[in-house]
Amino acid sequence: MEHAYLGVDVGSISTKGVIIDRENNLLASQYIWTQGNPIGAVKELLGLLEGQFDKTKYKIVATGATGSARKLVGTILGATMVKNEITAHAVGTTTFYPDVRTILEIGGQDSKIILVENAVAVDYAMNTLCAAGTGAFLSSQAKRLGIEVEEIGDYALRSTHPTQIAARCTVFAESDLVHKIQMGHPREDIIAGVCNAVAANYLSNVGKGKKILSPVVFQGGVSKNKGVVAAFERALGCKVIVDPNGHLMGALGVAILAKKGSKRQEFDFSVENMDFRTREASCGQCSNHCEIICVYRGDELIDAWGNRCERGERVH
Amino acid sequence: MAERALRKLSFPRYAEYNCALKYITEQALGCKYVMPPVLTRRTMELGAKHSPEFVCTPFKTVLGSMIEALEAGADTLLMTHGLCRLGYYGELSDQILRDLGYQFEFINLAEYDMSRKKELLRVIRRINPKVNPARCLAQFMEGLRMVEYLDEVTAEYYKGRGFDPTGGYDRAYRDFLTAMFTARGRADVEQGYRAVKSALGSIPLDKPAQPLRVGIVGEFYTVMDAFSNLEIEQKLSDMRLEVHRWMNVTNQFLHYNGQRNMHIKIADLCAYEMGPTATANIWYARECAERGFDGLIHIKSASCTPEIDVMPVLQNISTDYKIPVLYLTYDAQTSDVGLQTRLEAFYDMIAMRKKVF
Repeated sequence: MEHAYLGVDVGSISTKGVIIDRENNLLASQYIWTQGNPIGAVKELLGLLEGQFDKTKYKIVATGATGSARKLVGTILGATMVKNEITAHAVGTTTFYPDVRTILEIGGQDSKIILVENAVAVDYAMNTLCAAGTGAFLSSQAKRLGIEVEEIGDYALRSTHPTQIAARCTVFAESDLVHKIQMGHPREDIIAGVCNAVAANYLSNVGKGKKILSPVVFQGGVSKNKGVVAAFERALGCKVIVDPNGHLMGALGVAILAKKGSKRQEFDFSVENMDFRTREASCGQCSNHCEIICVYRGDELIDAWGNRCERGERVH
Repeated sequence: MAERALRKLSFPRYAEYNCALKYITEQALGCKYVMPPVLTRRTMELGAKHSPEFVCTPFKTVLGSMIEALEAGADTLLMTHGLCRLGYYGELSDQILRDLGYQFEFINLAEYDMSRKKELLRVIRRINPKVNPARCLAQFMEGLRMVEYLDEVTAEYYKGRGFDPTGGYDRAYRDFLTAMFTARGRADVEQGYRAVKSALGSIPLDKPAQPLRVGIVGEFYTVMDAFSNLEIEQKLSDMRLEVHRWMNVTNQFLHYNGQRNMHIKIADLCAYEMGPTATANIWYARECAERGFDGLIHIKSASCTPEIDVMPVLQNISTDYKIPVLYLTYDAQTSDVGLQTRLEAFYDMIAMRKKVF
């Protein structure tokens, strides 16, 4: 039996999973929507991965979880490695592009920039209080214009005179955009303008003050949008690499980290059929009212978190 | 009878400094101190509800704490002056609390010129006309000594805490805080200080030869108050980091002789004085960089203008010395999931860098 490694990345919008072998080759991969149900999405994801995976030849010896639901998913999977998505993305990308200098990442509701030197992340920034210029903005504008979010790129590339759209703030961008639509700007130009606005917003927010050096790798869901890629290339004046597996980079990164980690725990797909349930308990020991999340497998409490002090432990 | 005559003074919660404020109020000013409850989500909700939307977060926290102090029975509130918008906050919170219907006396230090002894005496006379100035001064200095001890011990605590496998650091620090909050005289203060110093000194630390070190700079309130910065120093030391923070009351006000001479050291980085803590923050950031720290963390509340102005200078320091800077902006949020993600990533990054470079 050869060893294989599972990586799962559960984000706000999408859930990604990969299984890799020792040489980081993909044995199975899947990308589905989270739809506000991380536990359900992970079970569905595992079912789909299991179908692509040759169980007679490989066995999974280590499992990694990342993304904003990494804690919950890590508990459910019994993961040997639970890592934040920023590190997972950096590790994934530097494994496949060892000479990369800048990683741009735009996801469903967050965006980040990672600067790399000698295949190690040396600086990063992530949006803090505001989700302007992320995938959520693109999909809501696509809806307004009556097209699918996947079509945005093709529309944008057809435009010859992109409309100027205020990029500073999503709310202002939206009113500007409505105004331009009503003025009669063609749809292609508007869409190209939206793509430019996303790139400009990114560069003036998370990218502010960072020296963006080539090679530049662009990933996250928004990297699938050719319009935004073109906008970045224009703004940066250099080629922007988009990996065909860019949307899986977080899952790949955490699978590689699980492989490199020292812990080993064989993973079979039995969790697909287990019943997991979470319960929120509010601690009343002080006026902080910490929300404690308890995770149950069947009737057994397997983990809990959210309390800030030892007093909260009595609650679950 | 005498009990009723005592003024019940309070000052909003601010990191752990309320122990010294209590000491000064009771021992130096001969009043009763009403300890505002520990800051919680309720404090923040109360403050945010009655504050202007775009005011900085410390105002909201402080207003909430004032309301909780009034609920706890305070009849007099004290508010400090300040070099940024803080200078106007006394007046504004006074007005908001009056509009809410609270009755109390408000002593706003912004109305006095605290650098003049005569003015200071006027404030003291207003708080308690019967006070004996000589005794008051002696006890006031004792209260300041408590602040110095508190800052010294806190700095040592966060520097070593991450490498203590026994939990003894946490216990010693907790006991020290209890001693300071209950101290009634010089002997109590000295004893509490000696106890914590010997306890911290006797715990063998499991520290690598070259531990990861981070320096924290930022806006005066949020950088020091654990509730406001979502316990960032605890979180960082939990990751086995040495946490260094220069900014505290001792360094800024007691030992630090104004910003009179510090700006010379950073004259090549900025030509003008930029705000209440900007000079010190820029100076300390570069100090950390020159001492080979592994990272810097810059903390501010949303819309804090002086600290926004500091950020471009920190970016220059970051490029010049190749030191990563994590910029954190705090608002009235109480969930720390996003913060935890950023800190973990920051830790991974500086740990991996250290191995390679």
